[in-house]
Amino acid sequence: MAILIHKDSKVLVQGITGKSGSLQAKLMMEAGTQIVAGVTPGKGGQEVHGVPVYNFVAEAKAAHPEIDTVICFVPPRAAMDSAMEAIDAGIKLLVLTTEEMPTHDVMKVIAYAKAHNTTLVGPGCSGIIVPGVCKVGSHPVRFFAPGKVGVVSKSGALSYEIGKTLSDAGIGQSTVAGIGGGPLWGFAQKDAIALYEADPDTKVIVMLGEIGGSTEEEAAAYIKDHVTKPVVSLIVGRNAPKGKSLGHAGAIVSGNTGTAASKIAALTDAGVHVVKNPVELAETVKALLNQ
Amino acid sequence: MNLFEYEGKRMMAKFAIPTPGSRLLATADAPAPLPYPFVLKAQVLTGGRGKAGGVKICHNDEEYTRYAHDILGMTIKGHVVHGLLAEEMVKADRELYLSITAQGVKNPTLIASAMGGMDIEQVAATQPEEILKLEIDPFTGLKDYQLSMLAQKLQVEDKADLFATVRKIEKAFFATNALLVEINPLGVVNGKLMAMDSKFVLDDHAEFRMKGIFQEIRDGREAIHYEAPKGDGTTITFVPLEGEIGLISDGAGTGMLTLDMVNDEGGTVASFCELGGTTNADVMYKAMEYTMGTGKPIKSLLIVLIGGFNRMDDMANGITRYIQDHGIDVPIFTRMCGTMEEEGIAIMKEHGLSTYNMLLDTVKDAVAASKEGR
Repeated sequence: MAILIHKDSKVLVQGITGKSGSLQAKLMMEAGTQIVAGVTPGKGGQEVHGVPVYNFVAEAKAAHPEIDTVICFVPPRAAMDSAMEAIDAGIKLLVLTTEEMPTHDVMKVIAYAKAHNTTLVGPGCSGIIVPGVCKVGSHPVRFFAPGKVGVVSKSGALSYEIGKTLSDAGIGQSTVAGIGGGPLWGFAQKDAIALYEADPDTKVIVMLGEIGGSTEEEAAAYIKDHVTKPVVSLIVGRNAPKGKSLGHAGAIVSGNTGTAASKIAALTDAGVHVVKNPVELAETVKALLNQ
Repeated sequence: MNLFEYEGKRMMAKFAIPTPGSRLLATADAPAPLPYPFVLKAQVLTGGRGKAGGVKICHNDEEYTRYAHDILGMTIKGHVVHGLLAEEMVKADRELYLSITAQGVKNPTLIASAMGGMDIEQVAATQPEEILKLEIDPFTGLKDYQLSMLAQKLQVEDKADLFATVRKIEKAFFATNALLVEINPLGVVNGKLMAMDSKFVLDDHAEFRMKGIFQEIRDGREAIHYEAPKGDGTTITFVPLEGEIGLISDGAGTGMLTLDMVNDEGGTVASFCELGGTTNADVMYKAMEYTMGTGKPIKSLLIVLIGGFNRMDDMANGITRYIQDHGIDVPIFTRMCGTMEEEGIAIMKEHGLSTYNMLLDTVKDAVAASKEGR
C-alpha cells in the first residue's frame, strides 16, 4: 500500500506527444508505472513509447475502461480545459503538473474537481512517487528508496532534497507527494496527512512546508485532532524578506500571516517535531522509526 | 500587472461603475484641467502617497502650479511619479470598503466593510466584526442572498443601486481575470455609490486571453512616459538582500532552505537567485550574471542544484562558460546532484572546480569562506 497511487494504477498521460509529456511518460514507465494511454488532440492513432494516443480522454477511457489516474502536462493556456475533460471522463485522481496557469482557471478547476469528487493534486506540482513501485510525476527515482516514511511537500526540489537525505541515511519512503508551490492547491498537506494516517505502510509522516498561505496551520489543526502517527516538519523561508516572493507564488509573507514563526508555533502546539534542516530531519525520523 | 489609479478607474468606467470626473496630466505645465477646487493625485504603483505629500487640493492657479511641480517627478517609496490625476472634489456622505480578490484565498472572495477610507488590514486586525467576507463560486457568481447579506452589513439605503454596482464590480473582476479589484473608499455620494479610489491587479498569466486589455494599458502608459521594468524572458527570480554570500538554487523550496541554513550557520546571503521552471545553460549563465553583477562585492558563491527536470551537464556548462567569459574572484561552493550528475561533475572538474554532494557541508564551507578576511 501507499497513498494515492499503487502498483496497479492505470495511468493516462495528457500531452503525451509534447517534449515534456513524452520524456516524463518514458521515465514513469521505467519506474514501473502502467501507462495505458495518452491523449493529444489531433494526434489520435499515433503511438508514443508503444502507448496508444487518442484525441480525447473519453475515447481513451472507452478503449481502456481501467484508467483511474490522469497526469496532465498540457501548457497553461489549455490546462483548464484538459483538466475539466479528465474530470468529465470520471477520472478519480488527476495530477496537474502545469505551472503558471491563470489564477481564475485554477480556481475553476479546483471547484470543478471538488464538485465531481475528483482528487486534484496540483497545479504546478511534481506529483507522486511510491519508491521502487511506480510514480505519477517527475520525481527522479535516484533520490528515493522504499520504506516507511510518508512525505508531503509543496516544493518538488525540496522533496528531492529530503528524499535524498533520507535515502542516504538508509531511511526509505512509503510515498512522496509534491503538491505544488501554490498559491492554490487542489490537495493540501492535511489531505496527504489524513491518507498517511490511514496507510498501514506509513510509520512516520514528514511534512515539508514553506512560508506563505495558511495550509501548514490547517495541517497543524488537523494533526492535533486526528493524527496518532509521529509527524516531523521542516518549514523553509524563516529568513525570507517580507513581501517578496522567493520563486514560489505561494511563498510570500504579508503582514503577520504566512510567517514561519506562526507555522512553527502551530505545528509545535500540535505535537509535531519541527526541525531546522535535512540532517536534523533524518536523525529525528530515524529515532522515531526505532521507537 | 498592477494598474495605476487612473487605469483602474478607466477600467471601472468601461463596466459603467461611477467614478469622479478626472483628467490625466503628464506635465506640470498644462493649464488648469478642471474648475477649482480639485484634487491632484500622484499616480504611483504603491500605497502611502497621501502621507508622502502626493495628494493635494488645489484652490487656485498658484497652488495648482506649485503642487503639480512638487508632485510630478517626486519619489514615493522608490517609485518616481510619472503622471498626475486631477480629479473633481467629491463629498461623500459615507465611505465604504469593497474588494473582490483572488489573492491569498481559495475561492474568489468579496470583502466589504462600512469602515472604508482607512487601512482595511488595520480594521481586520482590530475590529474583525466590521468585515464581511463572501466566497464567490466561480461558476455561479454572487448569489442574491449574498447581496442581501452585503446590504445588511453595509446599511446602504438604495439597495437597488448597491446590487447593480456590485454586479458591475463582479463583472469587471471576472471579465478581466483580475487578481484584485479594490475600491477604498467606495463613496456614498448623494445616495449613490461611487468608486473614489481604485486598485486593480491583472493576472500576467492570463495575458494570452486578455491581449487587448494589456496592450491598451501599455499604449496608454506612453502618454505619461512610464516604462514598466522589463523581464529578461527567463523564469529566474532574483532578490537582492543585504549579506555576503551569493546564492543560486534550481528550486524555490531548496533555495529558501539554503537561505535558512546559511543563517543558522552564522552566515548572511547577499542575493537570492532561483532558476524557475525552465533551466538550461543560458539560464544558469544569466543567474551568474545577476549574482555577480549587483555592484556589491560578495565573499563567496553558493550554488545549490538538485536536478529533476533540469540537467547537471547544462548547469555545469552555464557556470563554467560564465567563468571563462568573466573570470571570478570569489570561492565557489557547488552542490551538484541529480539528472546527468556524472556528466556535470566531469565538466566542473575539467575547469578545476570541485563539487559537493551533501547540502550541509556545502553551506558550512561557503559560510566559513565568507568569514575569512573580515
